Amino acid sequence: MPLYRCVIPEGALTNNQRVEIAKAFTDVHCGASGAPRNFVHVVFLESTGATEIADTHGNGVITFETPYFIAGGNRGGRPPALKARILAGLLEKFSQIAKVPPEQVSGRISETPASWTMEAGKILPEPGKESAEWYQHAAVSG
Amino acid sequence: MVSFECTVQEGCIDEHLRPNIASSLETVCLDILGPESGPVNISWVVIQRGFGFRGGLPSTTSLVRGHIPDGCDDATRQRLLRTIGDTWCRLSGTSEHELVVAARDEGWSG
Repeated sequence: MPLYRCVIPEGALTNNQRVEIAKAFTDVHCGASGAPRNFVHVVFLESTGATEIADTHGNGVITFETPYFIAGGNRGGRPPALKARILAGLLEKFSQIAKVPPEQVSGRISETPASWTMEAGKILPEPGKESAEWYQHAAVSG
Repeated sequence: MVSFECTVQEGCIDEHLRPNIASSLETVCLDILGPESGPVNISWVVIQRGFGFRGGLPSTTSLVRGHIPDGCDDATRQRLLRTIGDTWCRLSGTSEHELVVAARDEGWSG
């Protein structure tokens, strides 16, 4: 966690743009939340004309109306304003780097309780309850 | 019903291993959650090379995310996560540092 899935039209982004967006999303998320960088996952899914994407946990679909869509999945428990700031930052960076008008990009962040996810062999702590040991553990790459 | 979507990076989990991993995950789910929780559906999404990142760098991490029947207690859910993780790593030969496992309530709408 978090996982940001970017639905994009086929061939819409270059390799460099995908790398830049992945780094920018990591900056946005970690800058706002303080989470370790290694915990930020970004994937790009090419699908021209898509209007829906499967929910990250396989439960139904999320619908959208723009050519580009960011489906985020984060730990719950953060203030709504922080969640909104993260999403706004992602949308802004995506639009800038992909060179597409802001109205062509939309997104949504879903949240689940931290304890419903295990990463690197550890059950995730609630936001704000992370121990120093957890940050050290999170530094291992994968 | 139980459903898990396994998102893997291209080239990281050999295709011939996937049927055994899927059937083993199904067995784990039914053992821990009970046969009444089934059927268990396991699906795969392969992320193209150059399309998956972790910490802004190319990723080798797999994400096994799904939903389970509502009402699962914390101890059972965590046992499920850990057993899925152990099974995945044993059968795929990958490290726990390259794996995320998540099990959400079926009725959760967060």
